[in-house]
Amino acid sequence: MSIRRIRRGGLTVLGLTLAAVAALTVSGSAFGGAAQSCGTVTINEQSWAGSTANTYVAKYVLEKRLSCKVKLTQVTEGAPYFQAMRDGKVDVALEDWDNTLGAAGQRYIKDKSVRVIGSNGITGVIGWYIPRYLLKQYPAFKTWRGLKGKESVFKSPESGSQGMFLGGDPSYVQKDRALIKELGLDLKHVVAGAEPAQVARWSQLYKQKKPVLFYWYDPQYLNAQYDLVRVQLPKRFKGCLDDEKQSGKHACEYPSYGLDKLVSGKFATSGSPALKFVKKFKWTSTDQNFVANLIAGKKMKPEKAAEQWVKANAKKVNAWLK
Amino acid sequence: MASIAEPVLTATPVVVHRPWWRGKLVQVAGIVALMYVASRMWALEYPWPSSLVWTELPFHLDDFQIWLLDERGKTDQGIVFTVFEAFSNSIDRFVEWFTRFLLWMTWLGTTIAGVALVLRFGGVRAALLTLFAFATFALTGLWEESMQTLALMLVAVALSLIVGIPLGVLAGRSNRFNRAITPVLDAMQIVPAFAYLMPVVILFSIGPAAAVVSTMIYAIPPAIRITALGIRGVPVNTVEAAMSLGSTRGQLLTKVQLPLARRLILLGVNQCILFALSMVVIAGLIGGGGLGAVVTSGLYSNPALALLAGLVIVVMAMTLDRVTEAMADRTDPAKRHLNESGRRRLRLFTLATGAAAVVGIGIAKILGVAATYPDEAGDRVVTLEEWLLTKIQVVLDYIGDPFSFAFSVTQPTGTFIYQHLLQPLQEFLVEGPWFTTVVGLTAIAFVVSGLRPALTTLVMLGLIGCTGVWALSMDTLSQVLVATVIAAAIGISLGVLAAESDVFSKAMRPVNDLLQTLPQLVYIIPFIYLIQVSVVPGIIAGALYAFPVTLRLVERGVRDVPPNSVEAAHAFGASRLQTLVKVKLPLAGDAVMLGVNQAIIMVLAVVVIGGLVGSGGLGYEVAQGLVRGQFGQGVIASFAILTLGIALDRVTQGTRQRRKDVLA
Repeated sequence: MSIRRIRRGGLTVLGLTLAAVAALTVSGSAFGGAAQSCGTVTINEQSWAGSTANTYVAKYVLEKRLSCKVKLTQVTEGAPYFQAMRDGKVDVALEDWDNTLGAAGQRYIKDKSVRVIGSNGITGVIGWYIPRYLLKQYPAFKTWRGLKGKESVFKSPESGSQGMFLGGDPSYVQKDRALIKELGLDLKHVVAGAEPAQVARWSQLYKQKKPVLFYWYDPQYLNAQYDLVRVQLPKRFKGCLDDEKQSGKHACEYPSYGLDKLVSGKFATSGSPALKFVKKFKWTSTDQNFVANLIAGKKMKPEKAAEQWVKANAKKVNAWLK
Repeated sequence: MASIAEPVLTATPVVVHRPWWRGKLVQVAGIVALMYVASRMWALEYPWPSSLVWTELPFHLDDFQIWLLDERGKTDQGIVFTVFEAFSNSIDRFVEWFTRFLLWMTWLGTTIAGVALVLRFGGVRAALLTLFAFATFALTGLWEESMQTLALMLVAVALSLIVGIPLGVLAGRSNRFNRAITPVLDAMQIVPAFAYLMPVVILFSIGPAAAVVSTMIYAIPPAIRITALGIRGVPVNTVEAAMSLGSTRGQLLTKVQLPLARRLILLGVNQCILFALSMVVIAGLIGGGGLGAVVTSGLYSNPALALLAGLVIVVMAMTLDRVTEAMADRTDPAKRHLNESGRRRLRLFTLATGAAAVVGIGIAKILGVAATYPDEAGDRVVTLEEWLLTKIQVVLDYIGDPFSFAFSVTQPTGTFIYQHLLQPLQEFLVEGPWFTTVVGLTAIAFVVSGLRPALTTLVMLGLIGCTGVWALSMDTLSQVLVATVIAAAIGISLGVLAAESDVFSKAMRPVNDLLQTLPQLVYIIPFIYLIQVSVVPGIIAGALYAFPVTLRLVERGVRDVPPNSVEAAHAFGASRLQTLVKVKLPLAGDAVMLGVNQAIIMVLAVVVIGGLVGSGGLGYEVAQGLVRGQFGQGVIASFAILTLGIALDRVTQGTRQRRKDVLA
């Protein structure tokens, strides 16, 4: 290997450089004495703020308490990060919204290249949301039945005479087109695009105190800034589908998602002390929203936000390390 | 033969009226009118018939992906995967080593070495620019991310050129090879990166290698195209002279063609850099890390930071572009005639540069300077990050305020564009009977470009229908057309202005570069706040990304109008405006047409970004296909974008010969 490198650079100096680089990386990771026993852990951070929150808290604890070296990647969720786990490029993902249940996910679960190692303690909720101020004028909007006949309240330039339903990020689980159709609502499903774009749309309307109905979820740090209400959809029944592409009945509310921690097969068998920690890591959506709000709402650096939470919650953190 | 005909062509055409051009416009308008009548008569009655759709196609594609995954997962991989793996491992390791090396030199050392290097080969101005760039990396607090991106991009550009320039030379020398490779290059530029991310990930895994490969796919085409143009641009009589003196083909290439094509090849290098840098964010999605990752995660949690990282990408792109240009200029053998003492001086200069770099790094290491520029020194904050972020946030807050003055202007404008431009067009294309659309577009292609392009258009439209995405494609088409009209309007008017005024031309250059390298997802965010009609921001994104190309081509075209034609017009007492409208513009007509044609291609290249900000249509399908693991859906939608692109290209290309002349 060293021969190839030297040839590449054309200079023996590079050999020296490499030695120095190696020395530097070792000294850089030496927070404590136990550096060798943990090694490097790669955590994948997903795009939304909640994921940034749990990833940085885990990173902080792993680095400061277990002297691990933590690398973060930002691979897109779903098939891309499963593949990364199979290739050993990602060890841990701390918030998976049931991607493992899809056909693509099942393949990786089956060959054990990706393993689910329990919930991160949070239950994810997906649904139709409206601002709370709307309930004053239209108390019936609490349930989907109340929307019926009043759809035009949500009218926009794009929806013509129909009401506008703002769809979610293309990468998120959704079945709203089918829901609208099967519930017989006179709504037009308008795609708002990726989450930042969708937030731009509804928050702009919220600020003007105008009506808006949209796909949304919890835990989400913005829920601390905006007072939103979930519209009650029909209860779940047997055989109710959540995949729009499948034919059948979809007219029930979204399931609640136990958010899972995933590890790669390689990491699961590595015996790293970090694995024990990842298995035990668990918190609440209040915790997560608190940290996410520090980062995304108050624009604090993720490292600082994680530090603040960890210092204030020593008991919880210690439980992860037992 | 062409060489004999050409001088005659350029000598005669002056201010003759061009009835063909008008005739075409009239004919096209007629066809559109007929299509319109048909679509009103049978609105919604004839959607693409489901009997003409190959419904199993997505499943076959899904199966293909699964097969690929299985093959990849096997312990005894075939030779193909072994090769891919070896390639991706070595690239991964090299990029990682390079990044570590840049960091090892410490921020001070890297800056000194970089500036010294540029000073030697690019001159003082380029060196100052480099210093500014490094200062930007440091003061924004994004040093480490910048170094990651810099390493990644340098490797990607170097590899793109290693592949692109030889292929370009080949395409320049062989007509057959050129014809064969052109559609491949079109595909590489039009097929959205989102579509090949998953196959790239399967083949090269996640990490720098995958990022480098995705970047290369987009950055190679301009390198090949412009190199080929350069080789073709070498005057035929020069080549003949060299041949008659007994040059071999090898000698011809190295002694005549390459040196004479040098200027254009270097332009190709510049374009390659700009195209590569526009992929930084996409690269971030598959493990490229660096600034791209800051942009994507910032968009969700801290838009100001995303914008800041986007601006750093722009600074990096512009610096690399200007520095390579300066280096090319200064090392141009045609411009410097060195004598012995000059050479000796240069050699000393080179030595001094090397020494300065080494000493700089050495001192930095001895002083124990950190690898990355620190956020704080002692207790004092030494970056401008906080300050910049608050400033950007102020702007974003203003934009996000629905009671601002800006909003009261933009919102009605957006609604107007939607209700009076887009919606009617959408209805016309989506609801009109499929056969009149197919026949109509084919007829337009025939009138504007000729028989073969018309046949291609027909086939492409058929393919779109048969893969089951007709309605989505027509939706996208309507958006692409509106975006192109806006891009062409801006591009042509500014292009003419730039051709008439050197000052304006200079002023537009950074603007153009900014629009082409600032990640679209970043500059589109303000528009989403300002215009609450989700389709419109996507259209604006497309138009803003596309118009610089039109501007450049139109400017070139108008500037290249033969001076004797202009003088003749002046002699007849034409005013500046008259000269422009009656002489320059008609003579640059083909360049204008090419500008429109290229605008369409560029708009299509960002259709997926439109999908991400709410344009729906094909872009949304592609984006969703990637993440939700619906491989088949993603591929079909991308393929439709490509076929749509080819069809539109054929409709607007004009006759091939004219196009070639303009390019040459």
